[in-house]
Amino acid sequence: EKLLGDVTTRGQELALPLRGKLIPSRCCASIKVDFFCAVMSLAAEAFVSQIAAAEPWPENATLYQPLKEDQILLSDSASSLAVQTFLRMCGLPVQVSCRANAEYMSPSGKVPFIHVGNQVVSELGPIVQFTKAKGHALSDGLDDVQRAEMKAYMELVNNMLLTAELYIQWCDDYTATEISRPRYSSPYSWPLNHVLAYQKQWEIRRKMNAIGWSGKNLEQVYEDVSQCCQALSQRLGTQPYFFNKQPTELDALVFGHLFTILTTQLTSDELAEKVKSYTNLLSFCHRIEQTYFKEHDREGQFGSSRHSKSSLP
Amino acid sequence: MGSVHARSLDPLPMQGPELGVQADDMDLGEPEHEEKQEVLENKDVVVQHVHIDGLGRTKEDLLTYEIADVFRANNLIDVMKKSHEARQKLLRLGIFRHVEVVIDTAEGTDALPNGLDVTFEVKELRRMTGSYNTMVGNNEGSMVLGLKLPNVFGRAEKLTFQFSYGTKETSYGLSFFKPQPGHFERNFSINLYKVTGQFPWSSLRETDRGVSTEFSFPIWRTNHTLKWEGVWRELGCLARTASFTVREESGHSLKSSLSHAMVIDTRNSTILPRKGALLKINQELAGYTGGDVRFLKEDFEIQFNKTLFWDSVLSTSLWGGMLLPLGERPSCIADRFYLGGPTSVRGFSMYSIGPQSEGDYLGGEAYWAGGVHLYTPLPFRPGRGGFGDLFRTHFFLNAGNLCNLNYGEGPRAHLSKLAECIRWSYGAGIVLRLGNIARLELNYCIPMGVQSGDRICDGVQFGAGIRFL
Repeated sequence: EKLLGDVTTRGQELALPLRGKLIPSRCCASIKVDFFCAVMSLAAEAFVSQIAAAEPWPENATLYQPLKEDQILLSDSASSLAVQTFLRMCGLPVQVSCRANAEYMSPSGKVPFIHVGNQVVSELGPIVQFTKAKGHALSDGLDDVQRAEMKAYMELVNNMLLTAELYIQWCDDYTATEISRPRYSSPYSWPLNHVLAYQKQWEIRRKMNAIGWSGKNLEQVYEDVSQCCQALSQRLGTQPYFFNKQPTELDALVFGHLFTILTTQLTSDELAEKVKSYTNLLSFCHRIEQTYFKEHDREGQFGSSRHSKSSLP
Repeated sequence: MGSVHARSLDPLPMQGPELGVQADDMDLGEPEHEEKQEVLENKDVVVQHVHIDGLGRTKEDLLTYEIADVFRANNLIDVMKKSHEARQKLLRLGIFRHVEVVIDTAEGTDALPNGLDVTFEVKELRRMTGSYNTMVGNNEGSMVLGLKLPNVFGRAEKLTFQFSYGTKETSYGLSFFKPQPGHFERNFSINLYKVTGQFPWSSLRETDRGVSTEFSFPIWRTNHTLKWEGVWRELGCLARTASFTVREESGHSLKSSLSHAMVIDTRNSTILPRKGALLKINQELAGYTGGDVRFLKEDFEIQFNKTLFWDSVLSTSLWGGMLLPLGERPSCIADRFYLGGPTSVRGFSMYSIGPQSEGDYLGGEAYWAGGVHLYTPLPFRPGRGGFGDLFRTHFFLNAGNLCNLNYGEGPRAHLSKLAECIRWSYGAGIVLRLGNIARLELNYCIPMGVQSGDRICDGVQFGAGIRFL
């Protein structure tokens, strides 16, 4: 209950300057990131809405991500799956194209990004705004309180789950050496592969330092993931989706991250185990997979790779 | 016998093909020895000793090659000529500030009656020199700070560090140069550099970090250079509005290539030559020594110059090149050729000819360009003999074409593709020569044969650079 209370407060605080007393100090660093993210996303929203003319969604819209077999990492795969799920929920067709330089092609440096008509939009937040400007939205049925709550939970997933994924990939030495660096640098030849992999690792570690995660160890990170999943599980309850009958972008985001965690083979299974202990989240993932992905040809667009297991446990 | 003192000659620049050997400002002694002058000229002499005074860190074995010829002189005029040539050779090593020659009769116990001693009095350059220059490249300006260490280990090795901050790019480089003792034209150098460039015609930003080693050597009348280069290239979009084709080229790649260049240059000057010809052939093979990029690149440059009546010069030039990607990967935008602009086909905007996507020019895999120029002195010759000599009027006719190669059609199809839709232009203008390195042009151009997609700059066009079509 206490965690839930904090989350709600954070949601309402988005538009106001920080009031430190209401928020426990543990979350302060992540609040600062929230605030900056809110400001940045407001600017991005305005920009994207302006340029998304009232052109209909074209047939050849493409989503770009790193190479699925050899290159893509857990965090990028989760983000990409979240965007793909969202677009399927909206009923918008999109082709998935894998490129070794997807991260550098993206205007913001983050994957995935979509190329629609002659516009390029990256990351789930701006993509949601972009599709809304084109007339497709999932969260129209929500009132203001629910919308604020949805935004708060999305920030929770981004700040806890995504950051935990990045931490495990790049700050845990064993995972970084065995999985992350070899995969990230696989398209390049020697010595460029080492240079780029280490550059990325230092960049992520600096970011972890800035948000205060570098002092944590792996156990604390797993604990954070567990608490995040508990909050999500409590909000979901027995409902089919987070906001009862209709899926929203929050469902897409949560599905993207949880499904990827459950089906990706890391150096240890502990992360997947943390998620598995919440049965309603497990059935939530099954349900979305059945509804939106099983009806199409699974192998073509959503197939397995050596990095991920082919189906949910 | 009186002493013959060869007055030291005015310092001559190290390179400057238009300056030949001038033996006519030698002072042959005071007038009262004149009646003995003829005798001295015809008299056989023997050069017994050659001294070099003023050496500090320079090693002597390097210099013996340069002065060896002086010993072979057998009459006085010959001694003077050979000493002058030896002085030129010592100066071109780039390690002395000035060199003076003193020819005296031989002295000492073993002195012959017709023996001579030649002494070179040299002053070495300082161990470290700094410099500050402004540089004009192809349509950009930059501030260059340099640090030079000439003659680092005593055998004319040179270490240079350069930092350049410009309107379009920032770069730095470290270079080590070593000539072979005795054969200055045979040398090798190692370079380490980082160069950043912005190319608004393609909405592209490129950062290169690289290392290269090159060997230069002359064979008969040609000069060859063999080079290995390893470059880490980073490409990015210059603006959010870059076309998607350029966006797809963003990212990192590694190029490791071997190249060979051959140059025959008989012109009397690199900028505004009056006579002579230039032939330059360059080939580059990338990918077989590592790296991500694989291609074979050939390009050539030919130029002929001839002086006509009334001090005017007719100059014709032809450039061409081809890039052949090996393997299944298509060619990279950073390797392709570009055409157009005040330094190539005038009348068109900078590098704005050929394949393009949404206004961004992508370059091409094959090109040719030719020009015919007539340079004349300014009408009515203002400032003749001084400032006016730096200016020239010129009338030109330029033509060229650029296209991509889609193999599978055969070479004949490519030749016909290069021959159709030729872009050409004509016009007149004024050329200003800047030292021996660069020139400025102000032209009035009329472009013709413009294809859809090309960007033209008809009317007045200004250009600055070092290499012009």
